[in-house]
Amino acid sequence: MPLSRQRRFVTPGPEETLEALAARALPEEPLEAALERVRGWNLHIFGMRQPRGLLLGSDVVFVEPPLA
Amino acid sequence: MFDVLIRGGLVVDGSGAPGRVADVAVNEGRIVAVEPHIDGGARRTLEAAGRVVSPGFIDPHTHFDVQLLWDGAAKPALEHGVTAVVPGNCSLSLAPLKAKDRAALVGMFQQIEELPPAAFTEAFEWTWEDFAGYRAAVEPGLQVNVAPLVGHSLIRLWVMGADANRRAATADEISAMQDLLRASLDAGAVGLSTSFIDVDENGRPVPSRFAPFSELDALAAVLGERGERMLQVVPEFYDTDITIARIDQLADLSLRHGIPTTFSPVFDSRLTPDNVPRTMARVEEQFARGARVWPQMQTRPIDISFSLLRPSLFFGRLPRWVRVLRQPLETRLASLRDPSVTDRMLADCGPDGGAAMMSELVVRGGDAAPAALVGMTLGEIARQRDESCARALINLSLEHGLDVAFVAASRGHDDTGRIGPMLAHPLMHIGASDGGAHLASFATYGDTGYLFSEFVRKAGALTLEAAVKKITSDTAQIWGLKDRGRLARGQAADVVVFDPATIGRGEERPEFDMPGDGMRYVRDAIGVDAVVVNGQIVREGGRYTDARPGEFCGVS
Amino acid sequence: MSLVLAAPAAARLECAMVVGAEIVAGHDGAAELLVRLRHENGVEAPVVLDPATGFGVMEAAGVSRLDDLVGRRWLDILREL
Repeated sequence: MPLSRQRRFVTPGPEETLEALAARALPEEPLEAALERVRGWNLHIFGMRQPRGLLLGSDVVFVEPPLA
Repeated sequence: MFDVLIRGGLVVDGSGAPGRVADVAVNEGRIVAVEPHIDGGARRTLEAAGRVVSPGFIDPHTHFDVQLLWDGAAKPALEHGVTAVVPGNCSLSLAPLKAKDRAALVGMFQQIEELPPAAFTEAFEWTWEDFAGYRAAVEPGLQVNVAPLVGHSLIRLWVMGADANRRAATADEISAMQDLLRASLDAGAVGLSTSFIDVDENGRPVPSRFAPFSELDALAAVLGERGERMLQVVPEFYDTDITIARIDQLADLSLRHGIPTTFSPVFDSRLTPDNVPRTMARVEEQFARGARVWPQMQTRPIDISFSLLRPSLFFGRLPRWVRVLRQPLETRLASLRDPSVTDRMLADCGPDGGAAMMSELVVRGGDAAPAALVGMTLGEIARQRDESCARALINLSLEHGLDVAFVAASRGHDDTGRIGPMLAHPLMHIGASDGGAHLASFATYGDTGYLFSEFVRKAGALTLEAAVKKITSDTAQIWGLKDRGRLARGQAADVVVFDPATIGRGEERPEFDMPGDGMRYVRDAIGVDAVVVNGQIVREGGRYTDARPGEFCGVS
Repeated sequence: MSLVLAAPAAARLECAMVVGAEIVAGHDGAAELLVRLRHENGVEAPVVLDPATGFGVMEAAGVSRLDDLVGRRWLDILREL
């Protein structure tokens, strides 16, 4: 059985910053806009964590909004 | 001469086969016969006519690591028929742990399990550092069997010290973690646990969360090398998309290393009705690929509890309540004593005085609430006091320093008609009790009784035989527990005798039996007549015996 | 690896909107906040917030009644969080 399409995510590389991750995930976007999008799609990193925005090695970082 | 003979019960043997009336004979810790009539004497005979005789229940998600050091029965789990528990979940175990790191671990345990500080200073002596040492400390006193996980956060802490929750590990450090995991598995751990959500007492992510996937992959390789050992994970269960991402990661590890994996908890909610169906659809897809990714679902509903000591989102639709309850304590007390403030708060509640929202709230007890009010609804109390519900809640709280907890029962994961089929799904692993955790928040005991009372007797979602299979042989097979989970010749003699017409869970009540007179919420067992562990009777006639037959479970 | 985002120039970036807010029972026995978002692609999906984050979101949005979250831009709330 093929796997159905699910929401795309990336995991942080070693010592990768959020800027670098956003640029890698959304290369077609200006960095600021890419960061905003990543922020809006990843409340578990930007809202529910102290300190907010702390990127952890185990994180799942979504690079698109939820699918229909 | 048998050690124990259980005579004339309806034997539901854990296989899922229809129950049959039979005798069960036990010798030297093992089941030696299950036959319609067994002749021969026995040192102890249990008459079980009209009762079910089943394998002991296995609880695959607990946090009894600490409690087992002074309570080898993991009370009250054993009296509910639970004969084996899996502690060490969520990346936290009590070993391996260097003496210098004990304080750090205590903070994590207090945050997650809500154990009182005295539990770590009065109830036992730290005699170990490695996993073998922990086993030596705990195993002699066991009444219940134990199949412990070793915690990823502990392994990181041992190897990386204070850097464990700061950075990624080096290659040498990962190699050292692999060696430590091997040693822990060889000393009796059945697998590894990790967490993607837990925090310490300061709100900082626990060490396992700082590990990139490559580190988990390296540790999973050891689980495979040591023979299909379990990887347990707590995903970000509040978000279906993240849960599915974690399922995919676990599936990759399962396929690459030939290991079983499990994640918990999985909840149903009317407000997120797609969560479980989407989760299970992904689980089915991954099982179809050959991966083993077992979701764990608890049977019990979720309650909301609160007191006015802390702000609660329970009042999220009442703006004046939100504003007042978010004030610092002294200011809040002053506001609640000010009639002009409380009049406006009551105005928020509408013309019924909060009856629709609050009348079914129940006073929990275990705090400053008068004993006479414990168990009463706020509606009943309001009538006694001739006050509106909202006014009664405020005044009752004020009269007792705000230390009065209320519970809104069954506010989540509570739709039996939906949850029954979910529990019955062949890929759903019934567990996630969290036994031994959340001590001061809610009772984590009696989920097995609730399975029978709610989903077998009331809803008919599972047959008696299917329910027994789910929490005995299915669990043993998923976890690879050797010779557990079946009533069959040669199996370990872990047996429960219960009344199928009454087995259930008692009302939640406070109990002050933690070290330092610490309080926890418990539920008593209903309808469980006797419990046998490794061939010895540990519970009979409502009392525990002095037998200490529990042991670390072997894996097959 | 932490990052504090300054208010971006792309302040009106198309983003999720809050279309609903409800109280739900959390795993730990606390009341939690479920916020339903309509994302930029039109898909509606919930996020469940623990109490601290839930109160933080209400404060960031300047509301003391959760229904008043409805209609707010999600990125604007996050920026104030």
